[in-house]
Amino acid sequence: MRTRRHPLRAVALVLVVLWSIVPIYWAAKSSLQTESAARSRPTQYVPLHPTLDNFRALLAGHSDVAAGIRRSLLNIVVECAAATVVTVALAALAAYAFARFRFRGRTVLFFTVLATMAFPPYTTLIPLYRIMSAFNLVNTYTGIVLVYVSGFLPLAVWVLHNYFASIPTSIEEAGLIDGAGRLQVFWHLVLPLATPGVISIALITFLFGWAQFLFPLVLSTDLSTQPLTVLIAALQGRHIVPSTLMSAAGMLAIAVPAVIALAFNRYIVNGLLAGSTK
Amino acid sequence: MRDEVVQPGRIDRPGSTTRPHRRRIDVLPYVLVAPVAIFIIGLAIVPALFTIIESFFKVDELDPPTRFTGLGNFVALFHNHAVMNSAANTAFYVIVGVVLSTVLGIAIAVLLQHPFRGRGVIIAILILPWALPGVVEGILWSGIFDPNAGLINSLISTLHLGAGDGVLLGQNQLLTVGLIELVQVWQMTPLPTLLIFAALQLIPEELYEAAVVDGANQWRRFTSITLPLARPGIAVAMVQALIATLNIFDQPYVLNGAASTGASVTMETYFVSFQNLNFGQGYALSLLVALVTVALSLLVIRFIYRKVEL
Repeated sequence: MRTRRHPLRAVALVLVVLWSIVPIYWAAKSSLQTESAARSRPTQYVPLHPTLDNFRALLAGHSDVAAGIRRSLLNIVVECAAATVVTVALAALAAYAFARFRFRGRTVLFFTVLATMAFPPYTTLIPLYRIMSAFNLVNTYTGIVLVYVSGFLPLAVWVLHNYFASIPTSIEEAGLIDGAGRLQVFWHLVLPLATPGVISIALITFLFGWAQFLFPLVLSTDLSTQPLTVLIAALQGRHIVPSTLMSAAGMLAIAVPAVIALAFNRYIVNGLLAGSTK
Repeated sequence: MRDEVVQPGRIDRPGSTTRPHRRRIDVLPYVLVAPVAIFIIGLAIVPALFTIIESFFKVDELDPPTRFTGLGNFVALFHNHAVMNSAANTAFYVIVGVVLSTVLGIAIAVLLQHPFRGRGVIIAILILPWALPGVVEGILWSGIFDPNAGLINSLISTLHLGAGDGVLLGQNQLLTVGLIELVQVWQMTPLPTLLIFAALQLIPEELYEAAVVDGANQWRRFTSITLPLARPGIAVAMVQALIATLNIFDQPYVLNGAASTGASVTMETYFVSFQNLNFGQGYALSLLVALVTVALSLLVIRFIYRKVEL
């Protein structure tokens, strides 16, 4: 269809793009300035004398703040990577069973898993804290990863189930007739075909993990396990760190998710749509 | 449909002369689902039951032991001024957030509906805010709202509209809640946009062509074709926005601290439970939030969702 493009269309598209990136740009600009340059009037809308001092102070500095940022950056990477690997591995096995096997209790279990997606996220905050506390898992990677995995599994099971269900069964039949075991068929024939779905859900799970705040705020009270998000909020709340240094810390915290979102956006969009519709 | 799927588990191996015993239970599927089942039961179902049951108990670290109090926790919440204030704030977060993210989602999705050069790039940029942690978005936007170095005050100063040193957050309750919700809308709008965009992609072009032939103008085509057919996408988007806004925590916590001008119900749950150590009331409050979330979600589905046959 040839629709006449409305002249305001281009303006609207520019506004949409500006809306999405201006807050990020402003923090990026601030992270490249000294505190006095950031506060100077007339305002510098682009940094006139850009400097990497803020990043150098955080990544190579000897202050407590810098050491904390480096430690919590390590923590968030470890926690997100572990939660992603465990979530995707367990979800893939279960999703395959739900998509391909008939067994007693299948329907009840499948819908129970999916129903937990409808829980408002913080309904289980207090009991999870008390359970982790009872098992001495507060301030441990294990505790955080267990809670993350329990939260991320339902969506992963749902998305992977839909991918497996869309693969024709004739491929598996051929594999079985050739004498392969059922797990071999899964590993060598089905999983490779579902790779796009696995990548999608792995990326989405990783991003969800990176965004967590209230659960790790409760489950990790010291630097041994605090992820970057929790430390940054604590620093912001204490008003002791200059705003340009906070901006640099913010840039460190968004670098990984931003790169993932931009580089793999096709996988993420497909995964989100597979998880939210149908 | 799915019932017709051939089940590899039951396919007889070639060469096997005896059929597998008919009543033998196949353990493989149970082994495959067991880890997920353990996680979901142990770390989702059991904790949820905990929340429901213990909300009727006095669970107070500072005043043990645990004992039954009936509706005592709920009554106490309704007499707690901070909780009631946070409920009012949250109602405003929900209204502003759901309306804004839905309207923006529809508008941007319509803008992107028909293919054009560069659409993929714009979609990639569009989902960027969704991918970032809410806490860090609070940091980014505090740079926008900052009284001294913030973008808004800088623009006010540059354009000679005023001194450009106005305090935006924490002074006026409505302004504070509105600006904090703007940050959340910034973060969550990409998802509704994508959902509605996906729904729009399913609308056949012929419908629009027929409408053009019938003399329908752009607005008419939008209200008679686009909007009704996008209803499933809009309903899902609104439910997602509802859950996100009712549970808002990160943005007000980072942008405005514990101040009553922006505190949300989820923040009060946190304060009641982990600062006052009154877990019983915390349970009761999370249960109320959960019930309201489910009830409002069902209302949205009841009134907005329509099955679309194409």
